[in-house]
Parts: sequence; structure tokens; C-alpha cells
Amino acid sequence: MKENKFVLNSHGNGCEWQFNTAAMSQMSQSPYLSASIGEGFSPGHWNHSTTTSTLNLGLGESSATVNSIPVGKPVAVSPREMLLSTAPKLPHFPVDSTFIERAARFSCFGTGNFTGINFFGSSPAMASSNNEGFGAQIQKDDLSENKAVLLPVDHESFNGSSMKKQGDGNSQISVSNGESHVNFPEDGPEGNTGSTDVALDSSSSDLGENKRRKTALDIDKDQVQGSLQFLSQTTTENIQNEQKVEISSKQSGKNGKDNSEVAKEDYVHIRARRGQATNSHSLAERVRREKISERMKCLQELVPGCNKVTGKAVMLDEIINYVQSLQRQVEFLSMKLAAVNPQLDFGGEGLLAKNLLHSHGGSSSATRFSPELMYLQAYPSQHTLVHTGISAMASQSDTFRRTITTQSTSGYKESSMQVQQMHIPWNEELIMQMVYSANPSNPHMDSKADGFAI
Amino acid sequence: MYRRSFKDTKSSLGSPNPNFSKPMVALRFLRALSLVRCSGPGARSPSYRARGIRRAAYACMAASAGPRRAWSRALLRKIRRRPGRGLRRPRAVIRRRRPVGGGDPLEVALRRLVPGGGCMEYCRLLEEAADYVKCLAMQVRLMQTIVDSASHVNSID
Repeated sequence: MKENKFVLNSHGNGCEWQFNTAAMSQMSQSPYLSASIGEGFSPGHWNHSTTTSTLNLGLGESSATVNSIPVGKPVAVSPREMLLSTAPKLPHFPVDSTFIERAARFSCFGTGNFTGINFFGSSPAMASSNNEGFGAQIQKDDLSENKAVLLPVDHESFNGSSMKKQGDGNSQISVSNGESHVNFPEDGPEGNTGSTDVALDSSSSDLGENKRRKTALDIDKDQVQGSLQFLSQTTTENIQNEQKVEISSKQSGKNGKDNSEVAKEDYVHIRARRGQATNSHSLAERVRREKISERMKCLQELVPGCNKVTGKAVMLDEIINYVQSLQRQVEFLSMKLAAVNPQLDFGGEGLLAKNLLHSHGGSSSATRFSPELMYLQAYPSQHTLVHTGISAMASQSDTFRRTITTQSTSGYKESSMQVQQMHIPWNEELIMQMVYSANPSNPHMDSKADGFAI
Repeated sequence: MYRRSFKDTKSSLGSPNPNFSKPMVALRFLRALSLVRCSGPGARSPSYRARGIRRAAYACMAASAGPRRAWSRALLRKIRRRPGRGLRRPRAVIRRRRPVGGGDPLEVALRRLVPGGGCMEYCRLLEEAADYVKCLAMQVRLMQTIVDSASHVNSID
């Protein structure tokens, strides 16, 4: 149950949370504790929570208990301990998605005096002893709602970042974890594991914090600056390994990452992944690359037979071939129309238009011959033999007499598996059966075969 | 003649709804076709007519796609621009912002295929290519329908 709560609350810190819940169970902490930790901290409760001294005590306790924890888990566990120790006094906090939203919002639009916040009430002495310190520290007495709302955010960051500190009283706030709410769907587990590794190193430097702050300041806009300062205490390793920098890029919808974000977010916050440079250039490039891959996916859906294809070059090749084939088809059909036209009295244009509209009827219009068929015919693959046959049949006008007159639409079953856009109406299953029973690999596009007459 | 047909189809059927409205495209195309035919069925060779029909097809496709699309604008521009049109108004058109990266032959080929693809960035190019493919496919389907029904009408005589 604990674990469930944690998973629920962490939004993607799932592995880490579960990790920690196991550890916590070992710790035999109060379930209340764990629950409260999992759910975050509401502002008002901080006032009731432990004072600085108790926190430190708790931290000390946790540090002691850290050693008892198996090696596999310590990094993830250690921050938990600290949190857990602080937790007992915290009342039960309701699991609140809106709360987390608020937290997210506050972390992003960092209003309030974050700098004055003493996170977890670590004393300055302890902070200095850490060599890492805290960019912003929560002071319990100063806790206002705004600041306190940050806590859950920081808490999550705390979980990730504080892993680095083992047996350390202070909790680390890593930017990455601090903004983990931003990136839960994607980077939560990533970031946590990354921070786990970093925690193992557990080397801290003063430079880390400063650098992080600087990077944060460089990259963020003013709104975010406060929150970043608040969150900026990671080591250099953290910076390198777990680069979670928030950049507000242009408002090009990079919504894939930010679906956990509040709707109010009008900046696109990109988070660098672990092992990648935080350089704003490379981040922008990453955005661009992902946009491109997104577009390529769209194209992949449009072009038939591209599901199996992976790789940009092959995909592009397929797309180019498809476009060329479509254009050739247009040419060919226009020639055909030109040939047909003089015989056609276009007083029947109204009739044709009516037929087309009728057949369209809200669904795809009646076509017997889809461009995909032609394309697949031109580039036959294993699964397109059937299509070839069908296209051969499709070109027979006498077979389509009924399709024209009845104008009904039915699904195109077998081939539509491979060819996505085939909404070819076949009003008669007979035609289909006939098509498949006949020789499929006989593409006579323009010939009228009597053998296929129904 | 062709110019008139294109303009008519474009202006009269102002489609707010881009290429998803297939009847719109169909209507435009048919109107264009009829206009093409009106020029005198026996007067032109089939190839000439074929070219005219092709232009009509592209024009109505671009027109129904809407002016929001870069490729539709470029396509219409290309169609409407007749060689030897006479005095060309010097327009302050800043269009040629050519993107770097002619290295990838695939990308270059795609740029050539998609109308207006020379000036776009790669992302934009892919987006426009997707839309273009969609429209093209629909147009081909439409034309095929027309051809089939036309040949059907012929065959029942």
C-alpha cells in the first residue's frame, strides 16, 4: 500500500519510490511517515513539523540506519531516511494531484523568496559541512504557502539528489529531481537512477552548487530563476550525469515532455537527459531532433508499407518514392481523363458530382483503386502481391459497375492491414473472393479481362 | 481558359476546411474539368488537354488545401505563373531563405518533390511533405473515381 502511494505520487519516480519504500519498510518507519513523504508536504504542516534540531537529529538517526541497509539500495534509501525521520510529526497529507500541480507550478514560476528557504531545516553549519550547501534553504519559520508548496517538488528532487549524500545530514536538492515533476513521464526513473549512481560517488564540491546555480541562471528566465536557485545544489557529477536544466525555449509545442505540466505552462521546458550536455545549443538541437522524429512518424503513417521500416534514410527513400509514384499517377490519370473526356458529356458532371457526394456520405468516398495499391504494385514486396492482384482487378471497369451504382462502402479488409489509408469500399464480398481466387500476380492494369466478369 | 478555370475554382469555393473535405475537392476539380472541356473538345490534342487537366488537378488540390499550407501557396504560384505573361510586377517577395544542408541527397530530392520545398527548414519540410502526401493521395483517389465512373458511363453505352 505504501508502495502504491508512492508510485502514485511520484509520477514516474516509480522505481525509486518503490526502491525506497522497500527500504523504508526495512526501516520500520511509521507508515504514516512514509505516506506523508510520498504525498508531499503541505505548507501549513511544516510549521508543525520538526524543528531544525529535530530534523538534524532525525537525519543523524537516518544516517545511522543507512549503514544497515544493503548496498544495493543505500543511495536510494539514504535520502528517504532523512525524510522519514522528519516525517513522524507530519500529519497525513492527502494525495493530491492538484497539490502536485501547484508544486509544479510554483517550481516553474518561482515566486517567493526561495533563497530564504531552508530545506529541511538544515542548519548552516551542516550545510557548510557538506561542501555542497544549499542554494536555497527552507526556513521553517518562514514557510509561507508559496514556499511550502515547493516542498513536494523539492522533496522529489530531494529524493533523487539526496541520494548522493549518504550519512549526510543535509539533503541535496538537485535541479533534476527538483524539477522531476516536470518530467515525470520521461525522466523520472531516469533521473532517479542517475542520481543514484551519482550518490554513490558522493563527492561534493562547492563548485557544484555554484556551477549549477550559474547554469540555472544562465538558462532560465527570471520566472524560473528563483526556483532554480532553490533547487540548485548538486555536485559537478550531478551536473554532468544528470543534467536537468530547465530552459524555456521558444513556444514551439514540445508537449511530449510536459504532459505532466500544468496547463499554465507557456514555456517549453526541456530537460536534458542524463549524460547529455546542458548546453542550450545541444538542448535546442535535441528539441529539433525530436520534432523531426515526430514528423517522420506522421509520415510513416501516411505512407503505406512503412511500418516495418526503421531508420530515417530508408523512410525518406520510401517517402520520396511514394510521392513520385503519386505524381506519376496524377499524370497518368489526367492523360486518361483527357482521353475519356471528349467522349464524356459533362452535362453528366452534375451526375458525377452527385455520385461522388453521395458515395462520400461522411466516410471516405468510393474508390476502387487507391494510390497505395498502385504504389505497392510498383514496389512489390512480399505482402503486396495480393495488392497487385487486387489492383489488377480494380482496374477492370466492368467489375466496378456495381460499385459505382450501389455506391456503398465497405471495409477493405485484408489489404488494409498493410495499407493504412485504404478505405476502399467494396460493396460485394464476391468481388473480393474472386479477386483472391484469381491469379494475384497478374497486373493488367489497363486491360479488360472477360474472365473477371461476375 | 485554364487561368479562368483555376481562378473560378479557387475563388468561388473558398474552402475553410482543408483537404479533409473531399467533396470540395471533387467539386472544384469537376468544375475545372468542365471548364477545360469548354475550350473546345476537338480543338486541342489530348496531350494538351492532359496537361490542362493535370494543372487543374494540382490547382484544385492546392486550393482546397488552403492558403495556410506552404506547399499549396507555392503550387498555386507555380501554376498561375504563366511564362511570357508579360510585364511582371516587381514584388518585394522575400522568399528565398535557403536552408543549409544540401548534403543529404534524400533531403534534396524531397525538397524538389514537394512544392515550395526549397525554402523550408527540415522540420517544416517534413510537415509539409506529410500534408502534401495526404492531399496527393486524396486527389489521386478522386481522379481515379472520376475516370472509373467516366469509363463506366462510356461502357454502358
